[in-house]
Amino acid sequence: MNRHLRQTYVIARRDFLAIVATPTFLLFLLAPVFMLGFGLVGGLGASGLADTAIDNGEMVAIVAANDRADVVTADRELRELFNGENEPPALKIVTARGDLGAQARRIAGNQEQDVYAVLYGDLKTPVILERNRGGNSGRYLAGLAETVLQSRASGGASLSAPPRYQSLPRSGPSNTLRVSLGFGAVFIIFLLTLMLAGQAVGMLAEEKGNKVIEILAAAVPLEAVFAGKLLAMLGVAILFIGFWMLLGTGGGIAAAVMIGDQAAAAGSAAAPFDLASFAPAIGWPAFLGLGFAYFLMAFMLLGAVFLGIGAQAATMREIQMLSLPITIFQVAMFGLSSAAANAPQSSVATVAQLFPFSSPFAMAARGATDPAYWPHLLALGWQGIWVAIIIWLSVQLFRRGVLKSGPGLGLGRRAEAQDS
Amino acid sequence: MTDNVIEATGLVKYFGGFRAVNGVDISVERGLVYGILGPNGAGKTTTIRMLLGIIEPDSGARTLLGSSNPRDVSDRVGYLPEERGLYPGMKASEAIAFMGALRGLDWRTGRDRGAVLMAAAGLERVVDEKIRKMSKGMAQMVQLIGSIVHQPELIVLDEPFSGLDPVNQERLEGLIMTERERGATIVFSTHVMSHAERVCDRLAIIANAERRFEGTVAEARGTLPLRLRYAPSPGVGRAELDGLIPDAATPSGDGWSFTIPDADVAPWLSRLVASGHGVAGLSIERPGLHDAFVRIVGAADAPEAKADLPNKEAAQ
Repeated sequence: MNRHLRQTYVIARRDFLAIVATPTFLLFLLAPVFMLGFGLVGGLGASGLADTAIDNGEMVAIVAANDRADVVTADRELRELFNGENEPPALKIVTARGDLGAQARRIAGNQEQDVYAVLYGDLKTPVILERNRGGNSGRYLAGLAETVLQSRASGGASLSAPPRYQSLPRSGPSNTLRVSLGFGAVFIIFLLTLMLAGQAVGMLAEEKGNKVIEILAAAVPLEAVFAGKLLAMLGVAILFIGFWMLLGTGGGIAAAVMIGDQAAAAGSAAAPFDLASFAPAIGWPAFLGLGFAYFLMAFMLLGAVFLGIGAQAATMREIQMLSLPITIFQVAMFGLSSAAANAPQSSVATVAQLFPFSSPFAMAARGATDPAYWPHLLALGWQGIWVAIIIWLSVQLFRRGVLKSGPGLGLGRRAEAQDS
Repeated sequence: MTDNVIEATGLVKYFGGFRAVNGVDISVERGLVYGILGPNGAGKTTTIRMLLGIIEPDSGARTLLGSSNPRDVSDRVGYLPEERGLYPGMKASEAIAFMGALRGLDWRTGRDRGAVLMAAAGLERVVDEKIRKMSKGMAQMVQLIGSIVHQPELIVLDEPFSGLDPVNQERLEGLIMTERERGATIVFSTHVMSHAERVCDRLAIIANAERRFEGTVAEARGTLPLRLRYAPSPGVGRAELDGLIPDAATPSGDGWSFTIPDADVAPWLSRLVASGHGVAGLSIERPGLHDAFVRIVGAADAPEAKADLPNKEAAQ
């Protein structure tokens, strides 16, 4: 084994066993009880997403140009019958051109926008394409056509024949569902790193407190010490994740079902939950694999930062004081990445994917909406470079600030001769 | 061609504006027991840390076991730092194996060798005891064993005797000699002269961040002149001895005490005997390392006296 790898392994092995072989670890392992609390928060977020899904979807009416004004008026009158919560999805009016059936199917198949129902043809004998057979959106469009006809004939007119309903073609999961999936990836990775990476801040406190750091620094490169400690914590994290994976998977499926049910219960024409149709753009195997890889990167990136910062702390009190800014930093990365997940094509998403500390989260979300593989290869390489940079920087700071080797960095520490 | 395991020239280290080490040179030949002596705050630990590559010198150069990068040869070095440190939750055997593993020894061999060394140190009953349950002295012995378990070529011990009771101090001296017989080179720092006097082949004395002396124990003692104590026959007063003993002679019991160069012993004895004042008492005392140390370190504290030091290059 390469000497540096062997030295890193020795440090990692010691730390891993020191963490795992203690009664405290059992408490740590049972920490997912707290996840229930986070689950509630996540549930609220999911509920919000379900509402967003309803709000973001739309109905489309393909009508002749001279019918447009009447349709707009009828839509306005009909909407007055509903209160805010029950208001139907937005109506988009499109001017009829050419083959109306083809135009309707083209609009319904747009992956960028959820379309619940499309009305086309003569208003007296309309055809309604609907995603959810018998759903509210289809009935609303039928009522819309009838309202237009009634407003034109003072004596009251009605459809000459009942509307003809057709099902919308299905070409895959909607964009909204994929955005939801992306958000879910961000949330899960955030949750895990919040629980696990933050612990890295105090990992060198033990060595500094019991003076073992001098032995380590004399025997192995500090890079190996830092990397070994990160790997040990990563091992603990993977053990933790493995332990709870089954329960987490079950919970995730249940949450996804809830999202679908909530959307359906809200009266939209959204499809009932179908796991097969809930696939991310990049496919489930790649999405899960990338999700794990991005978790590792998020853990290593944030863990390296926290380890480096914590290594500068002189006392446990300083370490405790660091926990708040660290949590805020993590939440900020979560916020940025969530914004990116909800707007995959936006400049915010680009920033989040490029900024090293939000990149793992945002790129995991990207896998849900973008089928391309190459950005992930670039991103993992980019993040790996930053892990190395942060470890190197942390070591330099530690060497100069704590071991007093090399010129000081002006960190407010009084240089002292550690001599006898 | 010399076979030096340590070769350092002009080591300088500043901590902020404080000069901790100023131009220290050290050469240690393979197989020797080498002492680095100095008062508190002299720069011994900083020098050792630079030699081992724990910290980098601001200037100067050093090679360790032939390598200019001490990190490259760390597996061949054992180190006991001044500030003792072990993981309290580890058993003694694990701690020793861990320290060996850090230096490239496999865990099983580390545990086995550790048990043997613990038994040799009379600590076999605490091999499976956790460090936190041990006395400070026991933990220190465990750490010492951990620093030699991989059978290093070079063993560096920073103040190894501090904190040990006399029995363990003797054990440690024995262990140093055993390791020397194995072929290891041992470098240790101390400000307790008796240990250095007993086990060191060569030594350096550091004071005020600078090396003031380098040589054997005998050479260190030789930096001070012999002290001759002469008691004439009863009734002979000081005035009668004028011209026979130096003006600087001081009263000592019923006689007088003064220093003489080594080479002048025989002429002095002849003069005293031939003086006609009788010889009621006569002794020649060779100063100990302690005296030499005090003089060298004391001289270092007095800038005007530096030029008088025998090792003038160290006073620069």
